[in-house]
Amino acid sequence: MSVELVWALITGAALFGVGIYGALSQTNLVMIMMGVELILAGALINLVAFWRYLHPDAMSGQMFVLIVMTVMALEMAVGFGVAIARFRSKGSVEMEEAAELKE
Amino acid sequence: MTTLLVLLLLAVGVYCVAVLEAWITSGRFRLAAPAYSAMALLGRESNIPRKPDLLFFEVGPVVLLVATLLAAAVIPLSPDLIITDLATGALFLNAALAYVLVALIMAGWGPNGAYAMIGGWRFLGQLVAYAMLIVMPITAVAMRAESLATTDIVVSQAGLWNIVYQPLGFILFFVAAMGLAFLPPFDLPTAKGELAGGVEAEYSGVRLAVFRLGRMVLVITLAAATVTFYLGGWQGPWFAPWLWSAIKILLVTAVMLLIGRYVPRIREAHLLAWCWKLGIPLALLNIFMVGILLVVIP
Amino acid sequence: MITGQSIFIGFFGVAAVWFGIVVFRTFSMVRSAIALLFSQTALGAMFLTMQAEFLGVLQIMMMATEMSIMAFFMVMFMMDPGGMGKMEMTHQKRLSLIVGLVSFVGAVAIAIFIDWGPVATTVADTAQQTKALGLELLGRSMLVFEMAGVTILTAMIAATSVAIQPLPLSAIKHKKDRV
Repeated sequence: MSVELVWALITGAALFGVGIYGALSQTNLVMIMMGVELILAGALINLVAFWRYLHPDAMSGQMFVLIVMTVMALEMAVGFGVAIARFRSKGSVEMEEAAELKE
Repeated sequence: MTTLLVLLLLAVGVYCVAVLEAWITSGRFRLAAPAYSAMALLGRESNIPRKPDLLFFEVGPVVLLVATLLAAAVIPLSPDLIITDLATGALFLNAALAYVLVALIMAGWGPNGAYAMIGGWRFLGQLVAYAMLIVMPITAVAMRAESLATTDIVVSQAGLWNIVYQPLGFILFFVAAMGLAFLPPFDLPTAKGELAGGVEAEYSGVRLAVFRLGRMVLVITLAAATVTFYLGGWQGPWFAPWLWSAIKILLVTAVMLLIGRYVPRIREAHLLAWCWKLGIPLALLNIFMVGILLVVIP
Repeated sequence: MITGQSIFIGFFGVAAVWFGIVVFRTFSMVRSAIALLFSQTALGAMFLTMQAEFLGVLQIMMMATEMSIMAFFMVMFMMDPGGMGKMEMTHQKRLSLIVGLVSFVGAVAIAIFIDWGPVATTVADTAQQTKALGLELLGRSMLVFEMAGVTILTAMIAATSVAIQPLPLSAIKHKKDRV
């Protein structure tokens, strides 16, 4: 039970909380994606803290972090592609106006 | 102690780069020109544009200087003259140089001016073009050295310099380094004729001096990176190692600055097309060839 | 036990969370993107403090470019990128605050009240770590690495095909006449 491990996990929890607040409360697609980036950042810091303080000789911990970083970049890329397509067809990427399938 | 010595050599190098640039652009060799113009810049008034984003306006040039100094911290000038010998030195160089992009975006958005903003976004567009062309040749160089530390990379070239072993990688890295330092012909961010100075346009006085200083440290850091990765670093027959480093770095800087006088400015659309359609397949071919050479030649 | 490492982790952790909060509190969109950039940089600095050098440097490098591109997209798609109009752009604010707080408190409770077992004190040297990571990537986790590569290629093709502008009908007719 070391201070550094608990402190890193608390930081991860705080980033996760801020990210969820952002992803749920923002109306614009780009801001929602920034919230998702913060959520994934919280997960990353937890992963690195667990690798460093519990199993530093198992390199699969760092491997997992590399995969999460890759997935972060990919979902941003595809998300921005979708945002461009939506902006071309409707002129805005606001979530409040994206209710066409609701009825 | 080594930190101070490296910073002193870096300052001397930056002064030589300023003299070289003045010589190449104006044709006259005046050794005291940078000192006079620096004093003039510091003495001039600094205009602040109307309604700037003050945080970005002030911080932009400082981030440029800090990022380039951090990048210069992993360059080995001789076997023991390096500020910090990180185990992932080549990657750290790349990471620090990515903050040049952040600095130019801040400097472009901050002054609340159209030309500056367009210059900043153009630098982002250019970086999308040649970011891969910087990382992939570094990968091939690290493959030969079997390590990412810059001293190991220089030591691995003891038999044959990388410019002979991987000439394709050298050409790609050299062109991409010129693009990252926004030297002509890739100087759209600070285009003198077209954007009225671009990112540099709204800065004056002390901030312009810091911006120009950061740019010169960037040029000399990229030349030093080229020398470290491809031209054998400090290796040479008779002189002291740091003297060989200095000579090679200044020669590479002179070539980088000279090419701009003879090549027209390249449009961003063409740069993107050439880099992604021709440059990246060539970089992958370079990695493949280096891999084959490493396996075949014991 | 307060060591140098815990001071640095504490400092960078507070910086990361503070920049993360600034992302959603400021009115200027470009400041929001750059604040997210510095939050991720503080995270990368935390990785460096925990002696995961390759991961820290990689995080710093990737996030600088990604967040700059995000700043560019914000200027393209958002109504008030300079923040001069001070628009209110949120909805269901109380619900999201409650959910955020509940998740934060839950995660902190898990972090504090579980006994994580013996804590390792020594880590391998960074050069050895990089080499071990490389061997792990191409040895035991080769399948995961290959799948990541194929996923990256798929995502590149998908993003490009979604974002590319279709040719207008007049240009297609003109192309067919030329052949």
